[in-house]
Amino acid sequence: MILQLNHLPKKTSGASAQDIVATLQSMLEEGHLEQEQFANLCVHLDWIQYKQNFREPVMVVACAEQNSGGLPFFEVHVDLRQIVQGALRPELLKAMAPANPEFGHHAPATDDRVLLEEFQPFRTSIAWRFNHLYWQRLAEWERSTGHGYEEALPGGRSDANHPRAVGDGVADFWTLVRDLETKKQLPSELFVLEIGVGMGTRAGLWLDGFQKLDRERGTNYYPRVRFLLGDYSPATLERSKAAVRAHMEQCSFVVLDALNPLQTLSFLRHKIQHIHMTNVYDNLPDEEMARRDGRLYLVEVRAYLPATDAERIAQEFGLAQRDLARCIERLLEAGPEHFGDRARGVGFWMQVWAAMRLEEQLVCVDELPAEALPPELDRSRLDEMLREAPSDVRFHVSTGALESFRNTLPLLSTRGYLQVQDIFVTQWSEYQLGFHGPGKLDGSIVNWVNGLLLRETAERAGYDLHFAPFRYREGSRTSILFTTQRE
Amino acid sequence: MKLPILPTSVVGSYSMPGWLERLKTEYFARRISRHDLDEIHDNAVKAAIKDQEAAGVDIITDGELRRDNMMDYFLERLPGVQIDRSSKKFYYDFYNCSVQGKLPMAALGVAGDFQFLKNFTEHEAKFCVTGPHALTKRIHNEFYPNEEALATDLARALNLELKELVKAGARIIQIDEPYYSGFPDDLDWCVKVLNTLVEGVDAKIVVHICYGNRYGKPTWEGSYRYLFPRILEAKVHQLTLEFARRGGEDLDLFREFKPPFELGVGVIDVKTQAVETADTVAERVRKALEFVPAERVTVLPDCGCFHLPRDIAFAKLCAMVEGTRQVRKELGQ
Repeated sequence: MILQLNHLPKKTSGASAQDIVATLQSMLEEGHLEQEQFANLCVHLDWIQYKQNFREPVMVVACAEQNSGGLPFFEVHVDLRQIVQGALRPELLKAMAPANPEFGHHAPATDDRVLLEEFQPFRTSIAWRFNHLYWQRLAEWERSTGHGYEEALPGGRSDANHPRAVGDGVADFWTLVRDLETKKQLPSELFVLEIGVGMGTRAGLWLDGFQKLDRERGTNYYPRVRFLLGDYSPATLERSKAAVRAHMEQCSFVVLDALNPLQTLSFLRHKIQHIHMTNVYDNLPDEEMARRDGRLYLVEVRAYLPATDAERIAQEFGLAQRDLARCIERLLEAGPEHFGDRARGVGFWMQVWAAMRLEEQLVCVDELPAEALPPELDRSRLDEMLREAPSDVRFHVSTGALESFRNTLPLLSTRGYLQVQDIFVTQWSEYQLGFHGPGKLDGSIVNWVNGLLLRETAERAGYDLHFAPFRYREGSRTSILFTTQRE
Repeated sequence: MKLPILPTSVVGSYSMPGWLERLKTEYFARRISRHDLDEIHDNAVKAAIKDQEAAGVDIITDGELRRDNMMDYFLERLPGVQIDRSSKKFYYDFYNCSVQGKLPMAALGVAGDFQFLKNFTEHEAKFCVTGPHALTKRIHNEFYPNEEALATDLARALNLELKELVKAGARIIQIDEPYYSGFPDDLDWCVKVLNTLVEGVDAKIVVHICYGNRYGKPTWEGSYRYLFPRILEAKVHQLTLEFARRGGEDLDLFREFKPPFELGVGVIDVKTQAVETADTVAERVRKALEFVPAERVTVLPDCGCFHLPRDIAFAKLCAMVEGTRQVRKELGQ
């Protein structure tokens, strides 16, 4: 049996590594496991950073194909943060029964849960439709919780709006513009794009700062600035106008998809001097892969509600349990007003979201069509990149971030640069030292971004990628990604 | 070989297939042999020749598929240039290289690659050589007093190679100088060095100057105005410039300065995968003809098709040929 401790234990939990080994051993002795299965078990002990997430305290991940060879029969993931004293054994028995029905003494998986979809890559899971609903109906969610979404962020505010960070960004941009002027390459218009503008606070601070600096230094660059505020929500763009009202002459408001800004802004190909994004990549559709015994697997998921939660929600909202899945579908299609009383609809939405879990299975990548992977990651490229990685590793593919990145870089001018504030994994070893999502942040999904794959992609596109720690807030996990031209 | 009016050509590189990129990188990782890579290159070049011929291009190249990039192919063959072979991870990366003493005067030995091209086509063939100014910018100079001195010796060595190419049957040689646009202040000495490079070379000399195409994106911005009037002193036959991506504004310079050389007009934007229609190409050619007579115009893409997928590159060349044919018809040809 392999026991992987995927975090640096700092806090006490309801179970220890020793408890888990002892419990599994007793299950073996009692006939709940076969000797061979015990020997091939891979047990991962995690500390799920996000209080709200998609996992049970104990989760079993099985391989979809029985004949893949080399893979342990199943993996067991124990969340040491969720597990409570005395619950380890029943949780283990409950979780392992469906993966091993012939030895289990519990009902099969589908009896203790209400399934919301079939197994599929995470990027297409129903979970992202909830995420979409959240951003489309943010105001209703906020009304119901009584707090703004930024308050749910670590530190209670967005790192995008940190005045010193914005100030440094302004100074960097001014330096670039100055250099362009020195080299007689100053364009008549200086395009700046922010994707995912939220309340427009950062855009407002940036424009205030640039105008002030420009005045102080007497350079008169400000009138050349064309600041594009981009977001996929027209309502968000509308709300952002208040924050930049002193600079309306300089601003344009563009509805765009962060996955493909080029589609909307193709007329600005090679023309934008600076593009900024904060906490956009961590909220784009993603999926994970795992390498086990030298083979690559895609992690497929299936969303469900645990039966006890489903029963409770159905009862509270006067629904038959069998109608729950249909009701959730209507919520995602029509929004909370489907319930007539919007507040009640939001209540239903929040409860379903809080209860929703993701079951996982591994599918060997060799058995998937080539288009299942992003174009940057064909098998040979992926193998090349993974040479540096630990032999057994589970990592984010960051499908959405890669797509966005690929469709953003062509907008940059010859001296232009992209700056992204987000949560990045920048060393393969980090994946063995902690859980990096997906988690739930209020009504949205949060996922760390695989900076290693972005770096490789950037290099092939002619950019070097750098990651600097966000030093403006103590304890921040945010990094600042920025690009430089590659020779 | 008689060429039609408004002959079509390519700037040099053809689409680099993903499989060839991987195999080139495998070679650097010592997982395939030089012999195998040479055979792979031969076959890739034959395919590139066939594509250009099938598209109907009049003056073709070998697609430059043997080259890792436009610099290293020459730098690693230049006697006296020290190459750090550990400095490359991906085949397309540049080597770090230096010059620590006076360059010996010897040819580079690339004429064989031109001979290979000639063996497999009946079309007019062109060979492209990276110019001394661009090569100088990639070399860490530890010997010469300044860049001009290094570039002049590079030009002398390359001159020997150009003469070897002529001996091998090359009648059109293109000199690629994309770094002119990034270092316009160098132009005074660049033209002198260019003339040293082509001295006594009995071939049609084309000079290609663009705004960069590394990784399929522009490296610099600006106007070709910086070239004039100094470039008029260059002893070359044709200037090949990009106009599709940047628009035709700078065509006016040909009316203003009436240069003694022909114009190679870029009508295909190689930095986008959107395929031009033949009508768009025809419009761009007609625009060029407002400034330069048809007898002195060659039609090309803006730059090499290296970064375009093969099907896109082929479709773009087909559009270029078809659009040019439309204009020829209008001219009664």
